[in-house]
Amino acid sequence: MLNPAEKAYLHALQLLKRKDYRRAVEYFDQAAPFFSENKEFSLLRETTTLLVAVREELAELGADKNDERIEIEEYF
Amino acid sequence: MSRAETLRALDSLLEQFLDRAVMLKEDRLRVLDGINRLDDIARGSHATDLTEEMGGWFAQHSNWLQSPALRPADQDRIKNLLASIKRELEMSPEVSPAQVKITREIDRWASGKPTGEPAIHEKLVLTRGPEIAEKQTEDTIALYDSTLERLQAIYKDLAANKAHLLTILDDALISARYQQSRDALLLSASIIYYLKLNRYKVEPYVKRLKEAEALFSGGSHA
Repeated sequence: MLNPAEKAYLHALQLLKRKDYRRAVEYFDQAAPFFSENKEFSLLRETTTLLVAVREELAELGADKNDERIEIEEYF
Repeated sequence: MSRAETLRALDSLLEQFLDRAVMLKEDRLRVLDGINRLDDIARGSHATDLTEEMGGWFAQHSNWLQSPALRPADQDRIKNLLASIKRELEMSPEVSPAQVKITREIDRWASGKPTGEPAIHEKLVLTRGPEIAEKQTEDTIALYDSTLERLQAIYKDLAANKAHLLTILDDALISARYQQSRDALLLSASIIYYLKLNRYKVEPYVKRLKEAEALFSGGSHA
């Protein structure tokens, strides 16, 4: 039988394939205690976490520009 | 380079790395997915008939016995799961022909015999026809379904903390152009059409979409 952590790692990989990075991080976190010594797991987990953080940062930067965007909307 | 540009470059780099990492693990992922499905069947999380589910699993993974993709540990796991499923089948008071076939197939897997034996041939004749016919229909649906899921995931990522759809479209077009992302291109086209139907002026965005599309396809018709 597969243990829950193995299933979580598999789900995380499937979500990476679908580019659903935010949910992939959640599954990586669930699997982390079991795979703490697995370097490949750690690399994928850290990279995905970093990518999500970068996107959040970009989203915040985008939010700063919202006033300009509203002007564009009004123009249309 | 501005902070936003640096972050976008890093975003692109990380996404490409993950794409390639997943691509390298594609075969392994397929094996693990098959084992996981068998595990779900063995745990009894199946809503439909056990023999039906096992028939579907065998039909989908019939080439595994001859495949080098399976590691010895995978083979052991599969054999253990099949043994567990066989025990469950044997607990049934009535034995149907389908159960007999599944049990025979489990025994064949346990012995590790490749395809080509009479029992296998009999199994394939009974199950393969309708499955192939259904698969051709399901493939395009499954592919589009998977595309929609990815588009929604990208949309949710881009939509975080945004105040207007135009901002999301702007980011999607940037991603389509600089990352040459097919999904971002599809998402951009979908948003543009939505805005057009809502009487927005979309010409500048259509122009950018065409430019991104030209880069993606390697053409020069932008």
